[in-house]
Amino acid sequence: MSRHSDIKWTVLRGVYEDNAGIPRSCHGKGRSRHAVGPQPAERGSGYRRKAVLVALLALVALLGINFRLVTVDGAGPVAMQVVQRQFPPLPADPMNLLASTGDDPVTDSDRPAGVEPLQAIRDAAATTGHYDAMLGRLGIPLADLFNLRIQTIVIDPGHGGIDPGATGPQGLKEKDVVLDIARRLRDKLARSGKYRVLLTRDEDKKVYLKERVAFAKENRADLFISIHINSLPPEVKHLNYVETYYFGPHTDQRSLELAEKENHDSDYLMGDFREVIARIGDTVKTEESKELASSIHKRLYSNLKRRNRDLMDARSKTGPFMVLLGVEVPSVLVEISCISNQAEETRLSMPAYRDDVADYLKTGITEYLEQRTYRRSIERGKTQHVAKQENQHAIRRD
Amino acid sequence: MSQSKKTNMLYVGIDLGTSRSVVSASNGNRKWVESYVGWPKDFVAKKMLGKRVLFGSEALEHRLALDLTRPLRNGIITEGTERDEAAVHELIDHLIEMAGAGPDDEVCVAVGVPAEALKVNKIAIRNAVAQHAKKLMVVSEPFSVAYGLGTLDNAMIIDIGAGTVDFCIMHGTVPTDEDQRSILMAGDYVDEQLLRLLSEKHPEADFSLNMVRKFKEKHGFVGESKRRVKIEAPVDGKFTEFDITNEMRKACESPMPAIVETVIDLIAGFDPEFQESVRNNIIVAGGGSQLTGLDTYLGEATKQFGPCSFTCITDPLYAGADGALELAVDMPEEFLEKL
Repeated sequence: MSRHSDIKWTVLRGVYEDNAGIPRSCHGKGRSRHAVGPQPAERGSGYRRKAVLVALLALVALLGINFRLVTVDGAGPVAMQVVQRQFPPLPADPMNLLASTGDDPVTDSDRPAGVEPLQAIRDAAATTGHYDAMLGRLGIPLADLFNLRIQTIVIDPGHGGIDPGATGPQGLKEKDVVLDIARRLRDKLARSGKYRVLLTRDEDKKVYLKERVAFAKENRADLFISIHINSLPPEVKHLNYVETYYFGPHTDQRSLELAEKENHDSDYLMGDFREVIARIGDTVKTEESKELASSIHKRLYSNLKRRNRDLMDARSKTGPFMVLLGVEVPSVLVEISCISNQAEETRLSMPAYRDDVADYLKTGITEYLEQRTYRRSIERGKTQHVAKQENQHAIRRD
Repeated sequence: MSQSKKTNMLYVGIDLGTSRSVVSASNGNRKWVESYVGWPKDFVAKKMLGKRVLFGSEALEHRLALDLTRPLRNGIITEGTERDEAAVHELIDHLIEMAGAGPDDEVCVAVGVPAEALKVNKIAIRNAVAQHAKKLMVVSEPFSVAYGLGTLDNAMIIDIGAGTVDFCIMHGTVPTDEDQRSILMAGDYVDEQLLRLLSEKHPEADFSLNMVRKFKEKHGFVGESKRRVKIEAPVDGKFTEFDITNEMRKACESPMPAIVETVIDLIAGFDPEFQESVRNNIIVAGGGSQLTGLDTYLGEATKQFGPCSFTCITDPLYAGADGALELAVDMPEEFLEKL
């Protein structure tokens, strides 16, 4: 055969393999430089992957032993004991703090009643350093205590570029599906006009986990949602389930394996771990991440289940994912479903289905945000009630 | 190559485009339709039109009575609704009907789609074609153009469509994701720019997107031109002549910086040993390739990065469908049987 026929044969074979869902291995001589080098599956097999695994195991051990002792400002157990000796715990009922500080809750007639008590708790905590009590005993989510608002939501479509993520039996790639869902989710969330919604990647390019984390920091993200699709080994490829993670120790062996897979290109160094471990005590993040994960998971699973009776619920749970560890704000990682299941792959290839998935994610996020607003209004209601009682006492005293 | 082709096999090449969809068949049929699909809005419209579904210019003509969609806007099945998926089904039905397959014909179809659609809609498109064809392949539009032209090695294809500009580097094998790029500043973007510029300059005149698209297709140009572009548009119901030379040039040149940047970036990422060959073999296809002066303009714009040679193809309407047809015909029987 002539050289041209040779090339034609290679091309035709490539088209056949592409359309028959056969992974291609042949590459032309002039292949793009970007694609030269180890393929995604090989990338995590070197030192870095081992280092990440070792560090993760160390981290999980640390989490098990010290999780309750690490403070928000990174103080260790000894420092904490000193703090506890110097500053006794706050009263069990946070509303009693008003009486103990002796503040009059209604000092400014222009200010809405009920603002003062919560402010008093914040001020007291800030000035006296009762962080330990605040973290464990107030019974109020810290995000509410500090009146933390959500302004910027960062959506993180997993993988991209030379890293396709999971590939379905018919050749559909995780990187393309999650990008499409992320774009749809961005548009739906942005439509409310209440939030700034950003994507860590808006095109098909490789972004390292570290860069995703840096993007969230640079843009002052308030929420971080990483979107992935699962893939299962051949012997269980008929299974299909939804699972949602927030950062924490793994709850089962599969979570650890999945985390290892998603962490494979973390690009973090051992030295970075000193800094990131210190963040584990970030109670705000943990509390809110758990709420967010639960809300998203509930909506995603219940809606997808209606369309697919075989869908299983792998729950919302903790997992040692690097991208969740690095981000300092409430963050979750959603594994929407399993692309290794051929029927699910076909569904994922349908724009209408992806649009629905984006809708379910949006509903989960919106419900979480509304729940926060509701919680805050309840807190305000409580404090208003206390303020009212205080006023009535004052009137009676007069 | 295996040549033992079945005699009752009809080979069909389809170019499923954002703006126009084209079919080219081994029985000699070559037809095209604008990629509009419309269903009558209600029973009155259905009675008036006498059809369940309308396509192309006929659909555009009756758009007020139709639920009209262009399913591959922005290069992918866009709305994410069942309606757009149904529209793709209808469009493919119509194209295969236009190919003129006989009742006993076994149909083998190769479909070229915008590069982005290939990534996220490939299975949806396969499903839409599957009911008509026993054998089918879905490839990217620039790839089918390259195959038809025989430029399979050390070449770059730029397909300037309505929804996307697709770039594809050919290096003797099927291009991977890294060899392909898409940008959204394409024909529709130019139309929007032109409409904005004209509406700003002549607020008294009534322009529509459809009108400016026709102006662009007739008079579009980039770079220097001695010819003035004069068109007529209604002002208070009376047709009035306007000179839109500057606006036309500005709108048509608006996607050029992004195109030049992508060309340079793709070449720079290519094996250095073969960069020179690619530079001298850049083919511009798609409706956008017909802008007057495009090859010279791109050659000048890329000069500072090293000389590049751009060639605009002569038959952009059928190049994709003809390439897809050639691909279907050339596909060896041993592969076809498994598809």
